[in-house]
Amino acid sequence: MRLHLYERFVAEGRPPGAHETARALGLGEREAEDAYRRLADEHVLVLAPGTTDVVMAAPLSAAPTPFRVESERGSFYGNCIWDGLGAVAMLGRSGRVETSCPDCGEPLVFTVSEGELEHVDAVVHYAVPAARWWDDIAFS
Amino acid sequence: MLAFRSEEHVERWRKPLGLPRGGILTPERQWRLADAWYADRLAADWRRRTPEEAEALFAALGLEGAFWQLRP
Repeated sequence: MRLHLYERFVAEGRPPGAHETARALGLGEREAEDAYRRLADEHVLVLAPGTTDVVMAAPLSAAPTPFRVESERGSFYGNCIWDGLGAVAMLGRSGRVETSCPDCGEPLVFTVSEGELEHVDAVVHYAVPAARWWDDIAFS
Repeated sequence: MLAFRSEEHVERWRKPLGLPRGGILTPERQWRLADAWYADRLAADWRRRTPEEAEALFAALGLEGAFWQLRP
């Protein structure tokens, strides 16, 4: 289930709905919805409140974000800079993340070539301690 | 987790918002964390790390101290 969802997300550029996954895997729709909720409970997925619509399948975001990813397997959005680089790692270890400094708006590009990050004048800031990331994962 | 031009830009951004200084990573360390964390996410046998495993990974990358602890 998890792998199918990720593979469809990568192939189609969007996460499959529970009804699509149910059809693809020969499951009942309720069964697929329950599986999506279980994956969310396990912090594998983030669902839109009160639905089984996938908002995040880390490192990928279903909606555009300020972390645009160009990878060997296509263009995506990461949920944050960690996830943007994580998407590059997951999708072949060569690619780039385009974002901008929240302070000055200057573009920042993180480029990875065959597993090596090219130099970039930047720092990464974590506002929330690790133990509290899942208190509000969208903010974290 | 946001990327800034420098620590000075972090300070200028966070203070008006009342946000703590938090943790700062170099791009290289962030890449190594992202690579270690996500490179196997499309593997059939992937499973979520336990808090102990995640903390061990953080420590291996030099991310230690209360800020990086997942357990109380």
